[in-house]
Amino acid sequence: MASSAISKGKPAEESSAEQKVPDKNRIALRRTLIGRFVRSLIVAFWVMFIAFSLLRFSPGDPIRLALGTEATEETVAAAKAKYGLDQPFFVQFYDYFTGIFRGDLGTSFFSDREVTEVVSMHLPVTLMIILLSMGAAIIFSIPIALSVALSRRPAVTYFFRTSTSISLAIPGFFLALLGLLLFGTVFTWVPAAGYEGNFPSNLKYLWLPALVNCFSLVPILSRVLHSSLMDTLDEEFVETGVIRGVRKSKFYWSYMLRPSLAPTVVLISYMVGIMIGGTVVMEMIFSLPGIGRELIEAVSTRDYAIVQGIVMIFGLIVVFTSFIGDLLGYLLDRRVTLS
Amino acid sequence: MSKKAKTPRPDGTLGIVIGAGMMGALLLAGLLIPWLGKYDPDEISSDQLLSPSSTHYFGTDMLGRDVFTRVFDAVFVDIGTAFAGVLIPLTVGTIVGTLLGISRNRRVNSFIGSLIDGINAFPFLIFVIALVAFLGAGLSSIILALSLVNWARYARIARTRAVVVNQQGYVEAARTLGYKPSRILFRHIIPNVSSETRAYALSDFTIVIIAVAALSFLGLGVNPPQAEWGAMIKDGANIITLAWWNSVFPGLAICWAGISVAVFSEGLTKRIGEGNQR
Repeated sequence: MASSAISKGKPAEESSAEQKVPDKNRIALRRTLIGRFVRSLIVAFWVMFIAFSLLRFSPGDPIRLALGTEATEETVAAAKAKYGLDQPFFVQFYDYFTGIFRGDLGTSFFSDREVTEVVSMHLPVTLMIILLSMGAAIIFSIPIALSVALSRRPAVTYFFRTSTSISLAIPGFFLALLGLLLFGTVFTWVPAAGYEGNFPSNLKYLWLPALVNCFSLVPILSRVLHSSLMDTLDEEFVETGVIRGVRKSKFYWSYMLRPSLAPTVVLISYMVGIMIGGTVVMEMIFSLPGIGRELIEAVSTRDYAIVQGIVMIFGLIVVFTSFIGDLLGYLLDRRVTLS
Repeated sequence: MSKKAKTPRPDGTLGIVIGAGMMGALLLAGLLIPWLGKYDPDEISSDQLLSPSSTHYFGTDMLGRDVFTRVFDAVFVDIGTAFAGVLIPLTVGTIVGTLLGISRNRRVNSFIGSLIDGINAFPFLIFVIALVAFLGAGLSSIILALSLVNWARYARIARTRAVVVNQQGYVEAARTLGYKPSRILFRHIIPNVSSETRAYALSDFTIVIIAVAALSFLGLGVNPPQAEWGAMIKDGANIITLAWWNSVFPGLAICWAGISVAVFSEGLTKRIGEGNQR
């Protein structure tokens, strides 16, 4: 969030007139992109390394745990050899690291399920919840931020700030439980259990979890959008637009929203991390077959290979989306400087 | 730009007073409940699932324990865990970040810098859940996991700030006067860096209070019979249609705690004038 800085400039509409970017700028652009990409790769490497070393934090021996107390020394040693755990640390990491590029994230210590199989089966549900939450949050945030920014009364801004921070202080799992009580039991708008994977029919299972996620997303999103709208309002071209008597719809979009979007877009990509956390809890409460529920189940059975794999995938997703978000933010508004 | 202030701008004092008052009342209730409470928080009785009444203000749970007593018995467990889970990473992160910010060794700087980015890349709650899984469930694991994850966020803020502070005139002056580097670090640089990290810690406190309860809700927190808000909500979740009071009152307690910190921090930000009334 702090990586984006805005300086004074022209509105998006007028800057499109200078489509021809001089060569010097293009080289600078390419250099920034490559630098940003290399940085993401380094971070991605750390993500893999940290996820891999998680296993070392375990106080007990994970294999002995998986095999139970009756296991003899020989079977334990055999199992260790099977999973490559008898090798030195860096050899193991090399195997894991190269395995990632072959699409091999290891196998569960308990069942012979492959981690990639678990991920590819359950990730779509989680991504669907995240997409829905994000879409709904954007739809709610824009009018809220716009009306607060345009009202300009200190009391409205104060109420906006206070209510958003109060909304952030309400735990999602508690809200989800109340929602389930209200819409599941009293109104029966949400099916009590089960899940259908296909697009339109899964909405009736997913709308409430997505709505609950919005209670933590909309405050953050609308606050950042509001503050960049306030920055935009200070710019001279807005006054010009008012004086020229631009059509209302055009004014809202070209003069206010479009120049203010870049920080919000960057923020949305960073918020994927928050959303993943919230979604895990939602999946548990609404018993949705997503990857978060798989994670909690693996945690409770101490299936470390699966925990490790899921954590790494989530880490990589965040690295990827922040990279894309930074790029989009940069392309939307060239004034944004990449960190 | 003309300012049309019709109503006087609230200066934040109200928020500070309300927030501190709400938190103070909660802590006071947690302190007094062992003496003033009529029931033992962990004592099992035959009065199961009684609805709220004048004898049991918040009703009783499945084992006949008084929910009112248990909600306030959990105050120091929840708030204390969250407090430790903020204080440790705040301290560690501020010191590490400051050292990085003022160090001139570029190689170490970019190495630890990318490690910090790597840790920050993991979704907060997911990483904490995974660490608790490997460390074993329990409050001390939660505190350790929160510290291992969150120090990196503080370190990132502290590093950016330390680079700026390090170039300020008063640090230069202290150097010219020939003060020892350790004195400059602890008396001049860290206090100015930590004003920023402490401000973040306050907003982080709300998130951590919720995270601690969420971890217990997912079954990674306290061992029964210890009362804890998240665990109480979890126990009540299965029978919520039968006895809503088992989940709703501990949930309201979390909201109360979270809102008190949020209102306090909002007031303080306004008082200091950061964020420029936006």
